[in-house]
Amino acid sequence: MDILTSLIGGFAVAVTPLNLALAVFGCFAGTLIGALPGLGPVNGVAILIPVAFAMKLEPGSALIMLSCIYYGCMYGGRISSIMLNIPGDEPAIMTTLDGYPMARKGQAAKALGISAVASFTGATLATLGLTFFAPLLAKAAIHFGPADYFALYVMAFATIGGVTGVNPFKTLLAAVLGLLLASVGLDPATGTARYTFGSYHLYDGFDPIVAIVGLFAVSEIIMYFESHATSGAGPAKLGRALPRLREVFEGFPAALRGSVIGFVCGVLPGAGASLGAFVSYSTEKQISDKNGTFGTGDPRGIAAPEAGNNAASGGALIPMLTLGVPGSGTTAVMLALLVSLNIQPGPLLFERQPDLVWGLIAALYLANLVLLMLNVPMVGIFTRLLSLPQWLLMPIVVMVSFIGIYSISHSSFDLFVMIGFGLLGYALRKFEISLVPVVLGLLLGADMENNLRRALSISGGDFGILLQSPIALVIYGFTALMLLFSFGIAMRRQTPPLAD
Amino acid sequence: MIDRIVGAVVFVISVSAFWVARGYEAGFGDPLGPAVFPQMVAALAAILSLGLMLRPDPNPKTQSRPALARQVATVTVLACYVLLLEPLGFPLSTTLGTACLALLFGAGPAKATLTGAAVGVSLFVIFDRVLGLPLPFAPAFFG
Repeated sequence: MDILTSLIGGFAVAVTPLNLALAVFGCFAGTLIGALPGLGPVNGVAILIPVAFAMKLEPGSALIMLSCIYYGCMYGGRISSIMLNIPGDEPAIMTTLDGYPMARKGQAAKALGISAVASFTGATLATLGLTFFAPLLAKAAIHFGPADYFALYVMAFATIGGVTGVNPFKTLLAAVLGLLLASVGLDPATGTARYTFGSYHLYDGFDPIVAIVGLFAVSEIIMYFESHATSGAGPAKLGRALPRLREVFEGFPAALRGSVIGFVCGVLPGAGASLGAFVSYSTEKQISDKNGTFGTGDPRGIAAPEAGNNAASGGALIPMLTLGVPGSGTTAVMLALLVSLNIQPGPLLFERQPDLVWGLIAALYLANLVLLMLNVPMVGIFTRLLSLPQWLLMPIVVMVSFIGIYSISHSSFDLFVMIGFGLLGYALRKFEISLVPVVLGLLLGADMENNLRRALSISGGDFGILLQSPIALVIYGFTALMLLFSFGIAMRRQTPPLAD
Repeated sequence: MIDRIVGAVVFVISVSAFWVARGYEAGFGDPLGPAVFPQMVAALAAILSLGLMLRPDPNPKTQSRPALARQVATVTVLACYVLLLEPLGFPLSTTLGTACLALLFGAGPAKATLTGAAVGVSLFVIFDRVLGLPLPFAPAFFG
C-alpha cells in the first residue's frame, strides 16, 4: 500500500508541465541519439548532462530528463541495428543478428514494430520491478555498515564487465586506473594534496562529468575516422511505413521471457544491458529455435534481446538508486550527475527525497508510453535521420559537449582536461580496454576510500573488521565466484595460448 | 605485442604512483592516512599489468585506412578551439571550429562554411539568449 501511495505522489511530480515536457523532450532526443549509428546511451547522456546543468533544472527534473534520454536511447539503438546493421552500442549488437536479415528481406517495418513492442514490454516490466524491489532493497541496505559498503564496491569493480568483458585483466586494470585517477586532488580527510604536482587546478581532482564527456564523446570523434567511415551501404528500405498490428505481437512471448532475464541481469551490479541482451537471445534460441531460423530474420530473435536490453536498463537503476552502485555504464554516468547535484544515492534516498525517487519512477512509466507512441507510428522520421551526413552531425555533437562543459565551469582548463580524457579514452578503446570501469573507479573511488577509512577508524586500524560482518562475507563470496567464472572463461578461450 | 607494451607502461606508472604516495603523511586519529589507499590501488595495478604482460591478447586488427592525419588534425582543431574561445568570442570561434571539423569529416568548403556559421550562431542563441548562460560574445580586442 505504501508503495502505491508513494507512486501516486510520484505521478503528481511527474505530470507537472515542466517535467512532462522534459520527459517528452528526453524521449525524443534519446531515440534520436540512439538511432544515430555509433552514439549509444552513454554518449547520449554524457553529452546532455552539461545541457541539463546549463538549463539550471531542479535535481528531480534533471534526473527525469536524463532517464528519459537513457530509455529513449535504448529504444532508438535498435533502429540503426535493423536498418544499417550498425549497432549504436554494445547491447544492440544482438538485435542486428535477426533484425538486419529481416530488413534485407523487405520486412523492416515489421522488424521495427516488433522491436518497439518488445522494448516497451521489457522497459515497462523493469519499471514495475523497480517500483516494487527498489524500496525493499533500500530497506535492507540500511543495515549496511562501512565495511559492507567497501565489500560492495569491491564487488562492483570485480563484476563490471568481468562477465561480458573481453579480457578480465584489462577490465580490472581499467577499474584500478579509474581508482588511481580518483585519488588525484586534496584528500578530504587530511587535506593532503595527492598527485597534483603543484597545480592548483588539480586540487579538486578530476570532475567526473568532464572526464566522462571526454572519455566517451571526444574519443568517439577521434575513433570515428577508423571505425565508421568505411561502411558504404545505405540503409535498408523501410517498405510499408506502418506494420500490421498482428505482426507486431508475433514475438510477444519471447519478449516476456527476455524481459525477466534482462531485468535480473540489470540488477546485478556491473553486468548491465549487454549481458541482458546476450543471455535473453541465447536462451530464446535454445527454447525456440527448432528449425534453425535464428540469425536469418526470426521475429523472436529480435523480440528477446530488445526486451532483454531494455529490461536490463530499468533493472540497472535499482542498485544505482538504492546502493549508489551503478549497474551499467549509463547509470554510472547518471550517478555522476546525482553526485554533482549533491544528492547522495543510497538507502536513505527513498526516505529523505521521496519526491525525487518516486517522481523519477512515475516519469519512467510515462516515458514508456511516449516512447511507444514515438517509435511505432513515427519511426519513419528517425529512419530518415540515418541518411543525414556525418559531416553535419559530428561537429554538432562536439560543439554541444564543449559548450556544455564550458557552461559548468567557464574554465578553459576543464576543456583541455576533457580533450586529455578523450585521448585517454581513444587509447583505451584501441587496446580493447573497456571505458565503463574507468568511469566507475573515478566515480566511486572517493566513497570506497572513505568507507575503508571509516571501517578502520571503528576498529582502530585492524583490517580484520572488513571480514567480520556476515553481509560483507556473503558479498565477498559472490565476488570471488564471479571472478573465478570470468577468469575461467577467459583462460579457456585463450588455450592454446595466443601469445604473439 | 601491443598488450605487452601497454602492460609495461601501466607497470611503470603504477610503481611511480606507489613511490610518489610514500611521502603523504598520516593525520592524527586516522589509522589509514592519505597514502595507504593510493598505494593499495597502485600495487593492484602493478600486479594486473604484470598479468597483462604474461597473458596478452592477440594483436588487434590493423586499421584499414590511413586515419592518423585526420585524427591529429581533429585534436589540433579542438585544442585551438579551446585556446581561441575566449579571445575570439563564442560565435566566431565556434563557426571556425565547426567549419574545420566539417571539412575533416568530408564536407566541401561551401557546405563547411555554411554549417559552421549556422552552428556558431544557433548554439549562441540557444545557450546565451534562451538558456541565459553567459558566453563570451565579441572578440576580446574589440573591448
